[in-house]
Amino acid sequence: MELKRFLLVLTSTDDQSILPAAVELCKAAGGKLFAMFVIEPDQVSRSAVLAGQDVNVLRDATEEEGWKLLYLVEDDAVENGVWTSLHLMEGDPLKLTMRHVETYQIDALLIKKKDESMGMFVSSSVPVIGL
Amino acid sequence: MQLKISEYLKPEAIMMEIKAKEKIAAINELVAHMVENNMVSDGDEFINALAKRENLESTGIGDGIAIPHARTNAVRDLILAFAQSPQGIDFSSIDGKPSHIIFLIASPESQKSEYIVALAKLSRLLRKPSVREMLRSAKDREEVMDIIRRNED
Repeated sequence: MELKRFLLVLTSTDDQSILPAAVELCKAAGGKLFAMFVIEPDQVSRSAVLAGQDVNVLRDATEEEGWKLLYLVEDDAVENGVWTSLHLMEGDPLKLTMRHVETYQIDALLIKKKDESMGMFVSSSVPVIGL
Repeated sequence: MQLKISEYLKPEAIMMEIKAKEKIAAINELVAHMVENNMVSDGDEFINALAKRENLESTGIGDGIAIPHARTNAVRDLILAFAQSPQGIDFSSIDGKPSHIIFLIASPESQKSEYIVALAKLSRLLRKPSVREMLRSAKDREEVMDIIRRNED
């Protein structure tokens, strides 16, 4: 099976460290990179309570950080001649990922290896590559 | 990083009704306007940098918004431009809808951090339905500036 359409899934617990590897992989495969940042409302609410912050302020900050990650990966992708499409969504990462896999006919998921991403490995209908 | 969109968007970089009907023509029209106003040192290089991105991604982020952007030394500082398109332009948006509001962002190669922050702040601002609606129906440059000043952090 040839892998040409990759979905990079990012959440607020991710950082820039996995972006270069995602771009390199797509470049090496001659593939397209769909990058999605998911804002998790429950996570934002919990963090706001713990930090004593206004939930809307924290949500806006999370969204802005998400866009930064997306534009960073896009900038790197363009430098490397990799086609990209950016998506910022709000909801459950697993459900949104599965929906994107169908909508954009994704061949493989790119995710950071972490405890919370175990569900992706179990539920995904396409190969999952941990970065 | 503290960065205000309203500090980088100059009134002379606002076009209230762009004539172009497709994206490359729209980019050319916006850049020509910026060259006329001495905001861009090399219009051809700037258009090439923007076109390179358009070939590798969709800068139409959906909901009637497009944000063509590039890092290029054809500009001397981080700059923004705005255009309204009443008829809408096909920017190959992820939701398939035509873009009625176009924000163009560019920075020199060396100002990557500011460039990324500006893109992120603008994208977040434009996700607010009320802001999009106000910008789409704004009547003049002052109103556009006022909407951005009032709604950014």
